[in-house]
Order: sequence, then structure tokens, then C-alpha cells
Amino acid sequence: MSGPPIAPIPVARSPIVATPPVEVVAGWEVSTHRSTAALRVSDLTWLCKVAVKADANGAFTARHPTTFGSARRLPGDLIEIGSDPGGWLTIGPVGDAAALVERLTDEVADAGEMVSVIDLTHGRALLRLTGPDSVGALAKLCAIDLADAVTPNLAAFRSSVGSLVTDVVRDDLVDGTLSYLLHCERSSGQHLFSCLVDAGAEYGIDIAGPPI
Amino acid sequence: MSTAVTTGRRLAPQAGEVIDRRAPLSFRWDGKTYTGFVGDTIVSALVASGVDVFSRSFKYKRPRGVLSATFHDPGCTVQVGDEPNVRAAHRRLAAGMEVSPENVWPSLKFDVGAANQLLGRFLSSGFYYKTFIKPQRLWPAYQQILGRFAAGGVTAADAEHGYFDKRYIHVDVCVAGGGPAGMAAAVAAAESGASVLLVDEEYELGGHLRYGGDADLAALAELRAEVAVHESIEVMTNAAVTGRYDMNWIAVVQRQPGISVQGHAIHERLCKVRAGSLVVAAGLIERPYVFAGNDLPGVMLSTAVRRLVNLHAVRPGDNAVVFTANADGDACAQDLRRIGVGVTVVDARTDANIRRAEGGKRVKTVELADGRRVDCDLLVTAVGWTAATPLLNMAGDRPQYDATAARFFPTDRLAANVVVAGALAGDGSTSELVAHGAAAGATAAARAGHGSEVPAPALARVPHPELYRSTTHGIVDFSEDVSSKDMFSAKKEGYDSIELVKRYTTVTMGPSQGKLESANAVAIMAEAHGVSDFNEIGTTVWRPPYVPITLGALGGRGFENTRFSPMQPWHEQHNAKPLVAGDWIRPEHYGDPAAEVANVRRSVGIIDVTPLGKLDLRGPDVPKLLNLLYVNKWSRLPIGAVRYGVMCAEDGVVMDDGVTGRLGENHYIMTTTSSGAATVWEWTENWLQTEHPDWQIHVTPVTTGYASMNVAGPKSRELLGRVVSGVDLANDAFPYMHVRTATVADIAGCFMWRIGFTGELSYEIHVPAAYGLHVWEALFDAGFDLGVVPFGVEAQRIMRLEKGHFIVAQDTDGLTLGFGADLGWCIKLDKDDFAGKPELVWQSRRDDYQRLVGMQPVDPTIVPAEASQIVEGTKKIVGRVTSSRMSPTLGRSICLGFVEPRLATPGTIVTCQLPDRRRVPLKVIEGLAHFDPDGARMRI
Repeated sequence: MSGPPIAPIPVARSPIVATPPVEVVAGWEVSTHRSTAALRVSDLTWLCKVAVKADANGAFTARHPTTFGSARRLPGDLIEIGSDPGGWLTIGPVGDAAALVERLTDEVADAGEMVSVIDLTHGRALLRLTGPDSVGALAKLCAIDLADAVTPNLAAFRSSVGSLVTDVVRDDLVDGTLSYLLHCERSSGQHLFSCLVDAGAEYGIDIAGPPI
Repeated sequence: MSTAVTTGRRLAPQAGEVIDRRAPLSFRWDGKTYTGFVGDTIVSALVASGVDVFSRSFKYKRPRGVLSATFHDPGCTVQVGDEPNVRAAHRRLAAGMEVSPENVWPSLKFDVGAANQLLGRFLSSGFYYKTFIKPQRLWPAYQQILGRFAAGGVTAADAEHGYFDKRYIHVDVCVAGGGPAGMAAAVAAAESGASVLLVDEEYELGGHLRYGGDADLAALAELRAEVAVHESIEVMTNAAVTGRYDMNWIAVVQRQPGISVQGHAIHERLCKVRAGSLVVAAGLIERPYVFAGNDLPGVMLSTAVRRLVNLHAVRPGDNAVVFTANADGDACAQDLRRIGVGVTVVDARTDANIRRAEGGKRVKTVELADGRRVDCDLLVTAVGWTAATPLLNMAGDRPQYDATAARFFPTDRLAANVVVAGALAGDGSTSELVAHGAAAGATAAARAGHGSEVPAPALARVPHPELYRSTTHGIVDFSEDVSSKDMFSAKKEGYDSIELVKRYTTVTMGPSQGKLESANAVAIMAEAHGVSDFNEIGTTVWRPPYVPITLGALGGRGFENTRFSPMQPWHEQHNAKPLVAGDWIRPEHYGDPAAEVANVRRSVGIIDVTPLGKLDLRGPDVPKLLNLLYVNKWSRLPIGAVRYGVMCAEDGVVMDDGVTGRLGENHYIMTTTSSGAATVWEWTENWLQTEHPDWQIHVTPVTTGYASMNVAGPKSRELLGRVVSGVDLANDAFPYMHVRTATVADIAGCFMWRIGFTGELSYEIHVPAAYGLHVWEALFDAGFDLGVVPFGVEAQRIMRLEKGHFIVAQDTDGLTLGFGADLGWCIKLDKDDFAGKPELVWQSRRDDYQRLVGMQPVDPTIVPAEASQIVEGTKKIVGRVTSSRMSPTLGRSICLGFVEPRLATPGTIVTCQLPDRRRVPLKVIEGLAHFDPDGARMRI
């Protein structure tokens, strides 16, 4: 190559404007702002996201019993979401996408089943809304009944949130604090984020950087 | 209770008063400064200050004062600042309020429109219909004139947009009405384990107990305490259930919920409630009496007087006549005596009656039926009740009239998930209403899956005189100025149905929507018909909304999706003019689109094309899908190649286009137009899931998984050579219409294809989106010495037009079949089947469709506006211009457009009519391309 030098360090960026202070961590530009607010929203777009499509009655399904409309916590800080009949989205630690794609692809390589494993890390914006008032905030954006009886912990559904098609997973924290993962097309990530901040303002929402 | 009178009309503290005397407020009304207290309504503060008149009536401009002292009071609608149509008998006072009367000229005190009273005989029902029907040419003038008489306030064009909120609520039981029965129902439902939403129109729970006596206040305190201890009851006051729809989908409008968001007070909140059961405990509305002068200021309902006295400690007059037919009227007389008002009771239960009221801006004299005249400044009527049944009607019921009790009652036609509670079902003491409400609440909870049903104790139907109209005519609809005489006239004119009379006279059609008027309207129609059973007359139909809702509440928050590319921050920093393209914000240009075109033709430019739809297709059967969706052939697309394709809908109409590349044995990437991304994805899934579920294909939308940028221009290869690794960019190694995976600016996992929408050597690079900005900046850094500049959508549109590339939906429309868009070269009718084939076969056998052609104005300086018509003679349209621009490359104007087939021959001169009606000649050219028709520049 010749000519002027190119930018030396590739930096990955979320579609959501990071709240200062901002640092580059693991190659991603992220907010390191911390919050103790009762209601918080965090941009987790940097987490890896891998989509799998397979036969709903095939070998992959047998090994991954996470059903459509639910989610499951797996070792390795993974969460597997039944996103469609015969479709899954696995969310994992930042930077693990390639390894996860390889592992999932290899799982049923010998089964003769057509399985598509696609890294969607860059294609989806991922947010986490945490706090007892999460339901109140979401209820301003989403028509789904968020009561325990309808959407218990690890329930997953796709709905309109702020007039945007959004996948929602209830994923309470280990201490039982109410929490939701929301993901959408990357290009609409800022819109979804702004909607949540707007809806949560009534409850004193704060923005928190992702756990590092 | 104290009986002392304080200064003005403000009383000493009352037991149930809601004002805070420690918190005085100053406000302005009609240009003058007044004071009130926190807790006052606008009207109570003004009445306390001696103000009697708050508005002028709709048609006759008669002075109007307090009637019901509720939200529905038709004479108390005012303007508050920029906010029109504020219900002043309900809206709480706020410091600094600027309150003014609506639609008066020149003043509230003297309104010239009052002259209409002298013309009353000519302004009867149907006046407008009869008078302004002819001549039709004057309708616009009539509209202007009549518009000046329209009721309501004004909104300034620059008024600040209020903050309106929306909320979804899911509860087991929704209780409409927070009176004793409603509160008891909520408590019982909660005790059964149900979640409850308790909605009340007033600012506090309690209904009529709030302005009752000591026993009522004690019962109220007890009920409020019971409600408060149940966390599962959400209390929503200053709110109204405005509609009940199927499956208990319930609309609730919450006014001024007292919440601020980001510095904006929420003005109203529309709550969309899904409830297992609905308890309707809406209670009774006191109805006015119809007699001459019944709309004079100082003529009030007994409940209005009791509200003013007991809630706001306001003395409504000094000498009162109380016309009473029930215990509530008696209690009102007692209240008035207690505060020192002289009271003359006219007891309807002894057949006494009132005939007319007389006065000007305040009632002065009441003429009784026996001829006696009583001087007074307050005439109170207590003649019965209108059952607040609208929610029951919306739930399928058709309440029936009971002459004994002189009001309507619900029937058993209600939906199972709707339960009636309290006074709607019958009369009773507070404890009886509470017991009835509790049973209703338990039953509602049971029907929502909690606990067991409880039979409701029977409520009596206490006999009540049927008092609707005296021997004189008066106002029936106070909002619309419709009198009983108008209704009799309508009957004489043949309008014998209550629904027709409603539409002809507009009775019950005003802002109070029949709450004060409907029973009287039915009664007067019955009288006009000479029938005694109101059920023969029926009622008008109650429809949502129960109360007026602002358009702001209906519109709600403007959550409109806006999509951005990863390079948006860069675009903003470089002064890109934003272009709204569907949901997307794109750079239209960076200052000079013509210069951007010139730079691309001369050197190299880069455009952000992230919005291009992208689908990841995998599986051995992908070629079958491509052959089905596209009109051309796909079975032999080699790995590493891309091909242009056009999709037609099943009617043969051009639907979308794009290129699809083959990345691997069973791996393809399809691109679509930016606006067609979602449609094409649905189209593929529809075919796969319904017609070909056996095909081994997985489709994954990856539109925003990649940041996409097109590097175009003769120096694009040189630029990319500086940032791309792993790919030989030489023309023979990476030829036109091929795809390669590559590492770009150190980012692996990119793919790039060589295509030429601009007509230049160009590469479309697709980069993992999070690195989009990094790669974009790297390209500009690397190409600085090559003169690389960004170009926007406008420059791209110019260049594609120069090249003759059409845009779906710009150069086609919903009637453009494939051959009409000059696509015969790629439509392969010898394929077995594909979407739209039958229609295209049919089209191929005809020759009567318009053709897309390239055209150039004979005068090269004229750029016909897009959508300009191609015409023949004076009336015949034979085509249209679909795209037009001034070409910086050619230095002349260029067009694409449709013409009839006989005009499509190259060299034909057609006539284009411009928007200013000038006609200019255009010359049809060979093919669509104005520039580089052979495509040599793309293949270098």
C-alpha cells in the first residue's frame, strides 16, 4: 500500500452515542459511566450475538431445548434465546463471536442437518433495562403484559417497543432485580435507547455503561 | 359546621373543603386579577370573587354561568393561555393562570352576537341547512362567515406543543367511578387477589360523599383508608374511562397526572387498558329542568350548589329558590340555610312547580306554576338523574327506562366481563351502595380469575317524580343552544326518530355529549309524540369517547423510528444536508452535488449506502428461490460473481431490484433497494414458508449488520489498493459484476462487489457495521491525495440518471409491468416459472403499454419538473417525466419518462407541459443512458 497512513487502530462503535466518560475497551468504544440509580439503561451492543437457524425437529434442536418464546442461561456467561421456531440467538461475552460460531457450527456438523450460524454482533443493538420500575417504563412503549404470570423471568417475545420491532427478554439479575434485554436492528438502536430514556425519565432513569 | 360568612362569597372553613387557605393564588380572568386558593377550580375561585358569567352560548350568545360545577358544565369552557376549551368548573387553579372567555366579541359583558336572540324565530333548527344551501358558489363565503360563529377557543400557530404521554396497563379489574360503590368494588376485588385500576373523573375519590354531610364524610374517610391499604389498587384520579371496546380494551385519559419529564409537565396521558373485568360504577348525573330562562346565570343544579359550598367554601347566592323533587335537593336547601342563604323551597312532590326564570346576567325572579313570583339570585333545581350508562352501551347493553324511578337502568344484555355497581343499578343508602359495590367487585375479580362471585344485594328503585319540562320552553342542550321548542319543531317537520332529531337539531351533540341533555331530549320527544313510555322513543347511541379527548392525547408521544448509518457522526461533522428517506436519515449532499458528480467522474468519491437492503441466503436451494423471485436466470451464477436482478409481483408489476452475489457454494448475499428491504424479506419468507417449505434455505436479514459504502470513480481502484488486503483488484482478477471477501483497513469479514450504479468504475464495500466509521475514515485518509470527497444521494441520483439506471418507484409505479420498464433484456420467459410470469407473458403479447425511455429537452437549459405530463393537443396525456436533472457531466438537462409506444422510437419529439403550463419539446433518445451507453467506464 502507498499514500497517507490509515487510521491505525480499528475501533468498534455502538450505534448509541456513548455517555461520557468514554474509553476503548476490548476494541470497543464504551461508556464507563457508573450509576446506582434504581432504574438504569445500559448499552450492551458490544456483546457477541450469534443467530442459529436449524430444523425445528432436528439434531440441533434436540441439543438446544430453549423453546421459542423463552431464554436459557448457559455456562460461559451465555444466554440462549428461542427467537423463532427453529431459530435461536445466543448472546455471549464481547469478542467471543468467532469462537461461538465455530462451536455451534461444529455441534451438528456430522448430523447431516442444514444449520446456519451467523454472527449478528454488528447487526443488532442490545440494551439492558434494569430496576423495579422497568415495567412502568416499558409499559409506556410496549403493549405486552409484563406481569410475572405472563412474562416471567427468561420469557422472550418480539413486540413493538416505541413503534419499533424489538426482541425483549426478561433476564432478571442474580439478586432478583427486574431486568430486560432489548435488541433491535442496529440502525434503530439510538431510537430505542432514546425511547427508553424518555419513558424512564418519570422514574429517574440513569444511563450506565456496560459491566467491564 | 361553621355558618359564618367571610369576605365576598368565600365561606368560613367547611368540613369537606378541598381548598388550602394557607396557599392563596393569583390569576387573571378577562384582563383582571383575582385570587383563589390551591384546590379551587377556576370557576369556584371566580364565583367566590363575585363573577357570575363565564361564557356566551353557542348560537344566541346568551350569558352563561355555573350549571353543574363539573367537568361537563357547558357554560364554563374557557381559554387558559394558549390552551383552548378548558373546563373551568373542573380545572384546578394555578398561580399566574391567564384565563379568558372564548369566542366573544367585543367582550364577554357585551357580545353583539346576543342580537341573535332577537332573531331567534329565524334561527330555529335547520336554519343553516335551509338558508345556506344555495347558491353553491357562495359556499366558501358562507364557510368564512359561519366559521366566525364556531364555538371554542383559539390555538396560536406557535403554541408550544404539550407533552402527551401514553401508557399500557394490564389489570384484572378496572373500576370506572370512584364513588362509594366504586371504591368498595375496588377493595373487594383487591381482597380477592385481583389487581385493580380505580379511575375517577374528579381530583379525589368519593363521588357525592365528598360534598355530603358528616355521615357521608365519615364513610368517605373509611373507604379511602380501605383503598389506601391495598397496594394492588392503582388509583387514577382526574381521569376518565372514555371507551370500552371488545375484550375489555379500555381507553382511559388521565389529565395532568402531575408528572414532569425532562422539564415538561405531562399534559395528558392516554392509558390503553386491558382488563379482565370492568366494573361500571359511574353513578348518576343530575339533570337540568327545562323551562323558560333555565340557562340564566344563577340557575344551578343542586349538586353544583353543594360542590361550591362544601368543597370550595363558596356562597353561590344570597336568596335562593330551591325546586326539589328528592332528598338531594332537600339537603341542598339545608346546606344553603346553614350558610345563611335565604331559601324558598318549591317542593315538586307536592305538585308545586316553577314556570320560568327571569333576569339578565343573573336570575332575578322565579315565576311559580301557581303564578307567584319570587325574587332571588339563585334558582336551584333538583329534578332527578341521568344514569351514566355510556360504558354499558359500549358493552352491548341498551338500558331501559323505568317511569317509577324516572331514569334508565341497565338490563341483563351486558357482556359477562362487565359488571354494574352502585347507583346505576338502583337507589340505596351509603352502606347499601357500598355493599352492592363490594359484591360487584368480588364478582368482577372472580370473572377475572380471582376468588368467587358474590350475588349483589338488590337495590331499590325509589319512586321519583317524572320532571323534565315545565309548561314553558327552555334550553335542552346548553352546549348547542337547542331548545325544547326546536325539538317540537323538528317533530312537526317530520323528524320523528330521536336519532334524526339529534342530527337535525344537534341536541346532545355538543361537548357535554348528552350527559346533561339526553334524558330531557328523550322526554321531550316522548311529549312531542304524545307517548308516555320513553322506551318507545329509545335513546341516542353512546359511543366513545365518553368525554372529549384532546388530539394531543390521541396522538400521544411521537415515537417515530429513525435509522442512522454508522457513519452518521461523520456526515454531521461534514455538514451533510440530511435527507429523510423513509426511516433513514441520509446525506443528501455536502454542499454542492454538481461538484460531487464532477469529482466522481474525474477522480473518486464515496457514498454511504448502508440503507441498501441485505439478505444473507444460505442453503442448496437458494438458486431455486432466486429463479422464483427474479425475472432473470440464476442457476449458473458462479461463486465470486454478482448479477443484477429485477423482482416483479405476481401481477407482473416491478417490485424491487438489486444485485445478488454468490460468496460460497451455498452462500449468497442479496441486496435490495433501501425502501424495499423489509418488503423483500417478507416476500422471500412468504414464498418459503407457504409455497416451498421443503426448500433448504435460510434467510437472515443483515441490512444493518454491514456498513455499506460505494467507492466510485476512475481512481477508486487506486484508492482501494491502499486499504484492501487479500484481494487482487486488477480488472482481470476482479472484473465488473464480481464479488470478493476482503480485509479493508484491517477489518476482516468485509465483502466487496464491483458494480456501477453511478456508471463509473466502482466498488461497493460492506463492512461489519461497528467498524463502519473506522473504515470510512480510513478511506478518506488514504485517498486524501487522490482528491477523494464524499458524495450524497443527490449526486448519486444525477449520475444514475446520466447512466440511464432507473429507480424502482421513482421511474416505475404501481402499474408498471416489467416490459414497460425496458426490462425485456432480462425477463426470461423461457424459465419454468417465476413470480409475475403469467402477467409478463400476457404483456409480451401486447404492444399497448407505455415505455420507459430516455428523453432530452430540445432546449438544454430547461429541466422539466418530475411528474410533468407528456401531452398531445389540449387534453390528451400520453406520458410523463419520471426523473429529470441538469447533468453536470453533459452540461444539459436529461430525463427519463414514460411515453406511449408509438412515441418511443428514438428521435421522436414529444411535448412536455411544465407546471407553469409552458410546453417544451423533448427528444426521445436511443436507450435509457445519456452518458457512456456502452458502459465502458464501469469496466476499466
